[in-house]
Amino acid sequence: MPERGHIHPISSLIREANRIFFDMGFTYAEGPLLESEWYNFDALNVPKDHPARDMQDTFFIKDEPGMVLRTHTTNVSIRYMEEQMKKGILPPYRSIAMSKVFRNEATDMTHEAEFFQVDGCVVGEDITMAHLKGTLTTFFTKLLGTTEIRFRPSFFPFTEPSVEIDMRLVGDDAPEKLRGRWIEMMGAGMIHPDVLKNAGVDPTKYQGFAFGGGLDRIALLRWGIDDVRHMHSADLRFINQF
Amino acid sequence: MKISRNWLQAFFDTPLPDATALSDALTFHVFEIDGIEKHKTEKSDFSVDGEDDILDVKVTANRGHDCLSYWGIAKEISAILNIPLNASGHPKPYDPKEIQEVSVSIDSPLCNRFIAGLIHGVKVGPSPAWLVERLEAMGQRSINNVVDASNYVMFNLGQPSHAFDAGKITQKDGKWMIQVRTAKPDEKILALDEKEYTLNDSMIVIADAHTDAAIGIAGVKGGTPASITESTTDIIIECANFNGVSVRKTAQALKLRSDASARFEQGLAPELAAYGMRAVVDLIVKVAGGEIVGFTDMYPTKQEIRPVSVTLEKVNKTLGTTLAVADISDVFTRLGLTFELKGATFLVTPPFERLDLIIPEDLIEEIGRSIGYDKVSAVELPPFTGSIEINKNFYWSEKIRESLISQGFYEVFTSVFSKEVGTRMIANKIDGIRPYLRQSLTPGITEAFKKNLSQMDFLGLQEIKMFEIGYVWTQNKSERLAFICIRGGNGKVGDYESLRDRIKDQITTLLATATAKGITIETTTLQGTHKFAIAYGLLPENEDDYTQLSTSYYDDLPTSSATRYAPFSRYPYIVRDIAFWTTLDHIQKIQSDALYFSEIFKNEAGELLLKSTLFDKFEKGEKTSLAFRLIFQSFERTLTDEEINPLMQKVSTALTEKGFEIR
Repeated sequence: MPERGHIHPISSLIREANRIFFDMGFTYAEGPLLESEWYNFDALNVPKDHPARDMQDTFFIKDEPGMVLRTHTTNVSIRYMEEQMKKGILPPYRSIAMSKVFRNEATDMTHEAEFFQVDGCVVGEDITMAHLKGTLTTFFTKLLGTTEIRFRPSFFPFTEPSVEIDMRLVGDDAPEKLRGRWIEMMGAGMIHPDVLKNAGVDPTKYQGFAFGGGLDRIALLRWGIDDVRHMHSADLRFINQF
Repeated sequence: MKISRNWLQAFFDTPLPDATALSDALTFHVFEIDGIEKHKTEKSDFSVDGEDDILDVKVTANRGHDCLSYWGIAKEISAILNIPLNASGHPKPYDPKEIQEVSVSIDSPLCNRFIAGLIHGVKVGPSPAWLVERLEAMGQRSINNVVDASNYVMFNLGQPSHAFDAGKITQKDGKWMIQVRTAKPDEKILALDEKEYTLNDSMIVIADAHTDAAIGIAGVKGGTPASITESTTDIIIECANFNGVSVRKTAQALKLRSDASARFEQGLAPELAAYGMRAVVDLIVKVAGGEIVGFTDMYPTKQEIRPVSVTLEKVNKTLGTTLAVADISDVFTRLGLTFELKGATFLVTPPFERLDLIIPEDLIEEIGRSIGYDKVSAVELPPFTGSIEINKNFYWSEKIRESLISQGFYEVFTSVFSKEVGTRMIANKIDGIRPYLRQSLTPGITEAFKKNLSQMDFLGLQEIKMFEIGYVWTQNKSERLAFICIRGGNGKVGDYESLRDRIKDQITTLLATATAKGITIETTTLQGTHKFAIAYGLLPENEDDYTQLSTSYYDDLPTSSATRYAPFSRYPYIVRDIAFWTTLDHIQKIQSDALYFSEIFKNEAGELLLKSTLFDKFEKGEKTSLAFRLIFQSFERTLTDEEINPLMQKVSTALTEKGFEIR
């Protein structure tokens, strides 16, 4: 047998995260990278000409008006809900997307034009923000060690209320550099009723939460990676460490 | 927005806590703080010690209409810290006094309100020290007392205004006529920044109706034709409300984003204009003298205020809390939201400036952030009652990934952006390079392969084996998940081909049950300085093209065992080989050749030696030949032969002294 090769850290993270979410009842879901503005923006309550649309620098496609490279994996969450409804399957839903997204910006040690996001969505009759806190506490604890989660107020057009997710490692086994330090990890909130409506889900009956964040960032933190540009460098001096 | 602590203090009679406490209060209840800076000021009523703190408050896009102002932030601080606002926190609208001297006509649907105020007899000159100081805290330089007053009110209340020199606007029969109209195609205006702007008919202007000349770009910038100078005595103040989208587009198109446009583009409350007008005329009279003559207010459609209701049950059901009616009443009271309570239902009438309070969830957010999200506990989800689906793309890519890793392949990602012409091109790529979406994984991985060849010694590899699983946009424009593996190096191409073909067979077998349509794996070979062999294929286009899975689980596959990543140097390395004879006698005494000799190398060559590997060993009679490859590299610079030669000399000398015969 040849010596075992090496997995990309992002693939390893996705594999591990999927296992954790699978155990919590989440279905791994997918959606297109080249996406319509409807699923990337409008259906997510980001109207045209709204300043919120400027929050994300978007790649547009030549000669294909209305098409963009998705700026977040939230497109998967809304598509997943819509597909379920079209199949006649009513909530509860739990979906998780982990894939590539794009931002049209200059790259540096912490910014890449293409990177990876995790996006989760939970819908039911009695899903609360307390469940959001519980779900993310479980996820980060299983992935990185004993974790505390805190919310800070924020704004995203597709959630209301919206929060930023900070986490900190509190276990004795946490790396000293990280122990007890709050780190901004994700954006989240209760899914905006208009978004549920756009997916065909009745917001008077169902509610839920959604969360999203950078996988690259989790990888950087977990392994102490010094530059996000390694992820797409295909440099084996990087890969052979995983 | 920059918020000076001293300025903010003007809204409160109670002393405010220090900047850090203010920052925490805002961070955990409303807005992030991007930073706090110390700011030196003159010693004055506002700053006894000549010091100020400037908080950089990151106002979210849903609150730009009321919180890009001191008033907005003061109201938040009042609610969070439960300290009352003083009179400044309760601004008033202007006292209506209609006049005939100024008429206003709004001839564009993009203007919701236009109030013109007339002041006679101002004396334009320098601003008082306190006003200069406050504008300086905002990073603004003082211009003159009239203009400064307008800017001050904009920061203080969030309502932009503009002062025109009435003497420079045409007066006929004792009347000025102001018109808000669509700009004409190619209409030109010299703005206050001394630049000429060419407008178009998607923009709106403020015009002198008697001459039809534009005197300002609505919501963006005033024009020089009616600018305030030292000789100005009569002024017309504009306090208006413009369509946010229109202002945003105009400012973008003209590349002229001003503090005023940044506020208008949030979509301000039309009611606010009356409060802004009151504040600005009062301040002008205070700092520049003069007499308020009166106002003309064109307000075609009055702002509608709609009550929003929410029940106690819904609040708790959303937040996952056990709040009582009294908790919620307290939040609304602190936030200055008037409400009626019927049973456990709150009917809230938002103040005119809170345009963001529209649906029950908006109120729930007010409650959640006010009580503090630390009051929301972490609760596990109940067991899932639906069915978990297995995603076939992911299932099968995991299979391929694992198969290749177990064969010694390294997984890489290359960019989806390519310089190779593809069917799809990015219209607005910021860096301008690699504008196409890749049509195949081949060019990317080939390039990566070539780059890695020079690292083979460093990596201690005899050949390079890489793979990628990623998206491509094919000739027929469909988005497909593809896989590719490449192997090669400096050896014989035939070997790479045969190994590649074996891998290809393995993947074919692996995917045999994945789809009834079959998967084609193409192969490529390159002969040249570098030899490699490639196998490349596409996974099925649709979920339906896969065959039904017999499992309801993903395989339990190994994840990376890495704990901590070690950065590597970006500078090139230098390779030196050294071979020498050793005796059987010696070998028996030591546990490991590599360990024993690496110690010697490390001691002699020092920290520039990155690593040493034993790469050849053979016996000849009593003697054994060992050959080591030494790799030198620095984190700071490119090494030279001149640096390395003496180090290798030291290594040789040390080996000779220990009785090893250099070959």
